[in-house]
Amino acid sequence: MTMLKELIEFMARALVDNPEKVQVSEIEGEQTSVLELRVAKEDLGKVIGKQGRTARAMRTILSAASTKIRKRAVLEIIE
Amino acid sequence: MSVLEFEEKTVEDAIALACQEFKLPREKLEIEIVSKGSSGIFGIVGAKKAKIRVAPKELSLDGLAERGKEILTEILRHVDLPTVIESELKEDQVCLNIISNGTGLLIGKRGKTLGALQHLVAKILHREVGENVSVIVDTENYRSKRETSLTELAQQLSEKVKKSHRSLTTGPMNAQDRRIIHLALKEDLEVRTKSKGEGNLRRVVIYPIRRGKKPQPVAALEE
Repeated sequence: MTMLKELIEFMARALVDNPEKVQVSEIEGEQTSVLELRVAKEDLGKVIGKQGRTARAMRTILSAASTKIRKRAVLEIIE
Repeated sequence: MSVLEFEEKTVEDAIALACQEFKLPREKLEIEIVSKGSSGIFGIVGAKKAKIRVAPKELSLDGLAERGKEILTEILRHVDLPTVIESELKEDQVCLNIISNGTGLLIGKRGKTLGALQHLVAKILHREVGENVSVIVDTENYRSKRETSLTELAQQLSEKVKKSHRSLTTGPMNAQDRRIIHLALKEDLEVRTKSKGEGNLRRVVIYPIRRGKKPQPVAALEE
């Protein structure tokens, strides 16, 4: 499961100005994992994107990756 | 882009400062060492600062394609799927083709996953080079197949519109798909096309042009 965490970490770090402030924590459930993404306040817009497009893209890729390992994963961006 | 000079106690310090200033990692900077600097005797007498000249590396288009490939490879490394990526330049567009086992996992419903990958690679490239780069991500010839089927759909719809003299609307589509519809009917003088709706629900409306009336000027082509 850490693979999904690394996936989100990589994508978020590549998008922001303060990659050292990117934190992803994983709350693993029986079927579903929740990935919580925290970034520097000024980078929030970068990971969300115009009309949430970048956030949606990350969620789409996340669900493709989790489908492959027969899991469900939800990405939460924490303000 | 601009060339800047940095002076610090050591070359390392100066480079670190330059990285901060340009907000770029060291690999993306062109660094020229002007003087190495010396600490002098006991760090007091004859101490000279290190001086470097720094400019951000200009990425050539080939470099961009290569970098796009690296980014996509890294993303897909985390999606447990063996893939090979080909990069190519077509008219200033970075085209990345994913070769995989062909399960459609990377395409997603109506190309959703492919679109997401494309958006992210473009976004990351844009952040790194500071200018917009047009990126196309494809796999299993999905893009050209989609173009063929959308062009067919556009022609069928336009036939119906001409027969019934009533406008018809396509389903919700992304900008790339809408563009294909607009282009497919651009030459058709009996209908005109226009995008309607907001955000994800934007769709293409095909209107008939009544005979006798002056044909409308070039159909709306916003995308």
